[in-house]
Amino acid sequence: MNDTPLLLPCELDRALTRFVFEEARLLDERRFSEWLSLFANDGLYWVPSEPDQASPTDTLSLFCERKPLLAVRIERLAHPSHFSQVPATRTHHHVSGVLVERSTQPGIDFVVRASLIVAESRAGDQRWFAGRTTHHLRTNPAASPYPFEIALKRVDLINCDAPHRILAVPF
Amino acid sequence: MPPINPADLIRDDRVHRAVYVDTGVFALEQERVFRTAWLYAGHESQVPAPGDYAKVMLGPDEVLLVRQADGSLAMLHNRCPHRGSCLVGEARGHLPRFRCPYHAWTFGLDGHLIGVPMSDGYAGELDLRDPALQLVRVARVESYRGFIFASHAATGPSLTEFLGSLASALDNMVDRAPAGTLTQAGGTLRMAYRGNWKLFMENATDLVHPSVVHESSVAAARGHREALDADPQTAQTLQMLLSNGLGMPQWAAVPLHADPHGHVYMGGFYKSGMIAPARTDPVFERYRDALVARHGEAGTTRILGVDRFNNLIWPNLSVNARFGVLRQVQPVSVNHTVVTSTCFRFDGAPSEMFDLTLQFLNTASSASSMVASDDLEIFERCQRGLEENGEHWIDIRRGRAGDSRAADGSVAAPGTSELPIRNQMQAWISHMQAGSSGKRD
Repeated sequence: MNDTPLLLPCELDRALTRFVFEEARLLDERRFSEWLSLFANDGLYWVPSEPDQASPTDTLSLFCERKPLLAVRIERLAHPSHFSQVPATRTHHHVSGVLVERSTQPGIDFVVRASLIVAESRAGDQRWFAGRTTHHLRTNPAASPYPFEIALKRVDLINCDAPHRILAVPF
Repeated sequence: MPPINPADLIRDDRVHRAVYVDTGVFALEQERVFRTAWLYAGHESQVPAPGDYAKVMLGPDEVLLVRQADGSLAMLHNRCPHRGSCLVGEARGHLPRFRCPYHAWTFGLDGHLIGVPMSDGYAGELDLRDPALQLVRVARVESYRGFIFASHAATGPSLTEFLGSLASALDNMVDRAPAGTLTQAGGTLRMAYRGNWKLFMENATDLVHPSVVHESSVAAARGHREALDADPQTAQTLQMLLSNGLGMPQWAAVPLHADPHGHVYMGGFYKSGMIAPARTDPVFERYRDALVARHGEAGTTRILGVDRFNNLIWPNLSVNARFGVLRQVQPVSVNHTVVTSTCFRFDGAPSEMFDLTLQFLNTASSASSMVASDDLEIFERCQRGLEENGEHWIDIRRGRAGDSRAADGSVAAPGTSELPIRNQMQAWISHMQAGSSGKRD
């Protein structure tokens, strides 16, 4: 058994749950700079290419970007010559079943797991994605409005190993 | 509708839009290109032991690559001759024999019929040796240094004759492994677009497009040069993004080489840090030492000095030896294509060398790629434009006056030429006029 109780005090649980809801909302509202600012400086955004993929360093990934590359991606999303965003993609993230745990891994304070459904629309085409998200979060008192930062956001899509058309906007 | 005459669709300087959008042309090229040409069909390391199989698409056909009891390879259609059901559902696995999930007909690893339940129901009419009751074998299967190619045509050029000077791209990938062998690893990336398969192949050596199509990633990368000092993977991706911002004189200086059979490659690509800078770090030094132990100093310098990029083996394979990467273009329908990328560990190399192979493909060949996604968008726009019944012809003249033909039939041109497209079209028309493999009646 784990020494650390998995259940968190109610206020903390609510704050962490709210953090992942707000994170998804920033994506839907295309507030990408604010979204990026939620990541720790060494934070990783990772979408594996295989179910139950163990690591981004022995297997290919749909996305595997640390903060400096996410910054490039976000800046590009606003560029007028980003042709796959002309017209832009609209997304709707549905986040549910949020489960918060205290982490025993070094450098990670909390693990937040959730179900994710994303509807994506561009130029009249609609796509649906479904899967699970896993957030590894750290306490960061300097962060605002929530005192957390993202060490890892992992998105496991149920069709991660299918051929995909352009994936321009993070899940 | 009158029968299609492919010769009406290609001129020296122009291509008819039907080549990209006509379903009749697509059906014909499935027969005459994808059921006759040598196609890449997998790597020996995918099926190391007898009974190992891998399901692969060979053109339009789902086939099984099977390691035989004697160590040889067979390629069998994944289709039971009884009622037509696919035999195998998993992408890869290991089996002592194949058993049809419908009526339990069983077949040996070489495809021969072993047994049929209820055989008394045939009143002696069923002969287990009847050629029509065996799994259909792909006519020709050959391994070139571990890379397996197959052709549905029983006759035609040999594999080495077909590969021509592009065989050296495969040689170079194997030579870069200190142990002299490659192991496929790291899984697969697949990206899809709503466009014709030729659009990918034509774009892969088009060097006028990068600074236009990829302008947004170049501009964003230029604003974040500090990422060059981050971890090696991040730095590599940023370098790849930046390299698309070279000017036309630099692109023109990349020599293009076109071979008979439709193959193309770009030379001199990694000079002056294009795509990836020359490496001097401790991992690379250990790797280089391992190569020197096998090939000597001069041999190692020669192997690492081969700086060709996007070696295109017509009709549908792109080889990158330096990063140990293959990209294969799979036509699904006339306006739907899937690009499948796989990669290899250089056996005997430090394991860290594979990190940058994965990063290369994550950057270049994921649907999320900040490079490839631009290309996919353009392919979809081309397809939509070509589907319009406006002007029928598109132009492929750029750089035509600069083509210089050598005695061996190869053609050289500056990087900004459309020579590769003209060369691919020549191979296409020659296959389209020559007829099908004759396998199907």
